[in-house]
Amino acid sequence: MNYEPTALEHILITTRVEKVINWSRATSVWPMTFGLACCAIEMMAAGASRFDFDRFGAGIFRATPRQSDLMIVAGTVTYKMAPIIKQLYDQMPEPKWVIAMGSCATAGGPFDSYHTIQGVDKIVPVDVYIVGCPPRPEALLHGFMKLQDKIMSSSLADRYKEIFEAVG
Amino acid sequence: MTPESEPIQSGPEAPEAPAGAYIYDLKAAPNRQVELPKTVPLPGLQAYLADQKAALEADEAKWQKQLADYEAKLQALPEGKEAPKPPVRAAAKKDDYDMKTPVPSAPQDADMLRLVELLGERMEEAFEQAGELTCQVAKEHLLEALRICREDKQLKYEMLADEAATHYPAAEGFAFSVVYHLTSLSRHKRLRLRILIPEGFEPESACAVYRNADWLEREIFDMDGIRFAHHPDMVRILCPDDWEAHPLRKEYPVVGWGQRDIDFREDRSGRLARIAQEKAGNMGINLKVPKAE
Repeated sequence: MNYEPTALEHILITTRVEKVINWSRATSVWPMTFGLACCAIEMMAAGASRFDFDRFGAGIFRATPRQSDLMIVAGTVTYKMAPIIKQLYDQMPEPKWVIAMGSCATAGGPFDSYHTIQGVDKIVPVDVYIVGCPPRPEALLHGFMKLQDKIMSSSLADRYKEIFEAVG
Repeated sequence: MTPESEPIQSGPEAPEAPAGAYIYDLKAAPNRQVELPKTVPLPGLQAYLADQKAALEADEAKWQKQLADYEAKLQALPEGKEAPKPPVRAAAKKDDYDMKTPVPSAPQDADMLRLVELLGERMEEAFEQAGELTCQVAKEHLLEALRICREDKQLKYEMLADEAATHYPAAEGFAFSVVYHLTSLSRHKRLRLRILIPEGFEPESACAVYRNADWLEREIFDMDGIRFAHHPDMVRILCPDDWEAHPLRKEYPVVGWGQRDIDFREDRSGRLARIAQEKAGNMGINLKVPKAE
């Protein structure tokens, strides 16, 4: 027997609140205008018309951490820059995510040296790591889509549990 | 001297260099041990001549030893046997290679002769190498030499193109060389002044003659730890203010003393806050958060 949707079901969809919230978050991730080195050039290319980051809802680069959801750490993180990155991350409102773009931000890259932090995960928690030196804009888009998958599979309950357990 | 550039001792947990709380474990990574250089690769005419002389003497000693060995062989020769061939002295190698290393020579250039004449006793060494002019000046008379280079009508080196220092831990009598690269825009010429200074010596700042020496000298202080006397603002320029040690010294490990391994998710062990409070204290500001009793 064929299922015939009723007139009401033509105009209504049923879903979970959590899914709607995740969907809206994943499709409007606003990154922060924040570049540290050559990876930032690739990040700008990803935002420009050829690759067009905006197709995924992430093209609105905000110039302040207080309006952004995503921090793309694009470049070498030096010891002098580390407290500034920490401060910017702390100024971002929840929910917030971090992408470590390129080998420098991931693990120090070629700079096995006194002034370079060996991976930005020593400063802020990282959600997605992208390999490459620097990564192509496609790689950044792929990393961003992975982040969208992560956001879609996240649960509000888990997040609040995390926060409240951290606070105690 | 400014208070913020001195090592901070007042804090209870201030790490003492180099035996700090977060010193890099070099035993766990032996390939990261520091190897101090054993030579002093400082170009100079006197050093070059001394090297040549030593090489000649070594060659002569080798020849004499060959002759003596031959004599001993002849003495020990049993009767009736044919005597071995006498040794032949090897001729000096002919080096016709195009890319010969340019060797230093005595000054010929008119600028150099003028400078030698003007500086007299204050000039320690002057030589030319590959068409580049280098003068080594007595460290106490550097400022006068710079002023002469800039203001003399025949020299007119108006621009200080660069200033840099090098650490020579193996050298005797000095620890650093500070080099001043001068450029004459009107005469299209370049000149290099050099001073050799021991550890702890404070050379006179070149800011009085060339204003742009300000940041160059701050960089030298940051990287090599040489303080310049009468400098307007002798603080670090590249490294952060709370940095310890001077990275371009040869005894400094490339991976540092472990500053990069601090977990920044916490504070840098309260160090930044303490420095801020000390600075504020010097200016009479109270930054401390009042606590309820």
